[in-house]
Amino acid sequence: MKALYIASTGMSAQERNVEVISNNIANMRTTGFKKARAEFEDLLYQQVTRAGSSTSDQGNMVPAGLEIGSGVRTVSTPRVMSQGSVNMTERELDVAVRGEGFFMVQLPDGRTAYTRDGSFERSPEGELVTSTGYTIDPGINIPGTATSVAISPDGMVSAYLNNESVPTQMGQLQLARFVNKSGLESLGDNLFLETAASGPAQVGVPNADGVGNLLQGYLEMSNVNSVTEIADLIAAQRAYEMNARVISGADEMMQSTSQLR
Amino acid sequence: MIENAQLISLSRQIALQRQTDVVANNMANINTTGFKGEQVLFEEYVMPVARDRDFPRLDQPLSYVQDWATIHDLSGGAMVQTGSELDVGLNGDGFFAVQTPAGERWTKAGSFQLSANGTLVDASGNPVLGEGGPIQFGPEETGILIASDGSISTSAGQKGRLRLVEFTDPQALTREGNNLWAGGTPAAATGTRAMQGFVEKSNVSGVAEMAEMIRVQRAYESAASLASKQDELRRSAIQRLGDTNA
Repeated sequence: MKALYIASTGMSAQERNVEVISNNIANMRTTGFKKARAEFEDLLYQQVTRAGSSTSDQGNMVPAGLEIGSGVRTVSTPRVMSQGSVNMTERELDVAVRGEGFFMVQLPDGRTAYTRDGSFERSPEGELVTSTGYTIDPGINIPGTATSVAISPDGMVSAYLNNESVPTQMGQLQLARFVNKSGLESLGDNLFLETAASGPAQVGVPNADGVGNLLQGYLEMSNVNSVTEIADLIAAQRAYEMNARVISGADEMMQSTSQLR
Repeated sequence: MIENAQLISLSRQIALQRQTDVVANNMANINTTGFKGEQVLFEEYVMPVARDRDFPRLDQPLSYVQDWATIHDLSGGAMVQTGSELDVGLNGDGFFAVQTPAGERWTKAGSFQLSANGTLVDASGNPVLGEGGPIQFGPEETGILIASDGSISTSAGQKGRLRLVEFTDPQALTREGNNLWAGGTPAAATGTRAMQGFVEKSNVSGVAEMAEMIRVQRAYESAASLASKQDELRRSAIQRLGDTNA
């Protein structure tokens, strides 16, 4: 009676599914968030009768085998890296990426992380930092005397200093792209890390190198679609209930066996 | 022949237990991309019995139940729009071909990814085969477009075509787990449409499986009660016949 264990794999897979969906919904309003999706695969099959095994000396054979599966497993939770909608904020240090690229962030431990969240701030020293306070790589320093900061679509940061009439260039924002964006490791704080599966980061200048371009005064919203998430949640919940019903059915069958006299 | 009645109901119970396993597996995979449900087929196994023409009425042959095959329900599952450019749903009888360490395998699960070096792979990391082998994307390529005939193009032009295969006898395919199917003689698929941005969901119907589960459960209970009735019958027979009048 494998049904008990098979149905329990179904229940744990749906539990995982609901976890992924609830994280998506919780991050519906997170800047630059990319939704994840649980992917399932069936487990091994026990071949009780193999298709094509012969049933007589005359070469007759079994047209279809007898296969008993053993349940389901969650194989991965790839992120759907589609473009989120951009929302106008009119803040001069808000930048949205249109395209494939990620901003590079210097972590305190020396590693480089990647983010789509372009809600930048200035540190007390004038460094351009993320909302968590990590510096942007390559570093851009905007002095206190700067009045208005302009970020062009190709990533050039310029500012007017000391009421000059010509803007001064402060630095160049760069973006990184990956062959397999879904293979990035999520770090939290809207940050991602490079992995062996994502491939190495290819750093480029916006508007060239296929990394996309920048939009000042806008933020990229999350790409979570509430309607599909709720529909997925309902489907996951019902699937969980039906698997639970299979367990109780199998249990009742065993009960009727144990009551045999 | 009371023992025979018990053995026949035992054969029924064993077959029903296996059927529960199949129902449970279908139910566990109700959200698995590209999963196809299974159904158990039963047959009568007629047991030769002693025949003696001298009896006024001939012996009835005994028939046991045997589960002899599971058939694949290959009907299409629901197509769900995901918006991911590497998701491909197959509308029709065709399968994708993937390269595994054990050789070519077939799958209906079109939720693909790119590997670190830009190869199109399935969820387990097996390369997806095009008509000229695995499909490779360069680091600078953007805008992957998959046409309904499976041909792939990007900003760098044509990248080849997904290998879609179909089988004259898909029931002879065996399931390997990991959404993969093995065996069969593949032929180029005709009339199968690839839909980019969609995945094919499992074709398991919750209502039908639930009804099947209840039916199996009740049939099992009635076989169990038949067995215990037979037991009672035998006991009372022994008691009655063994009661010697001293």
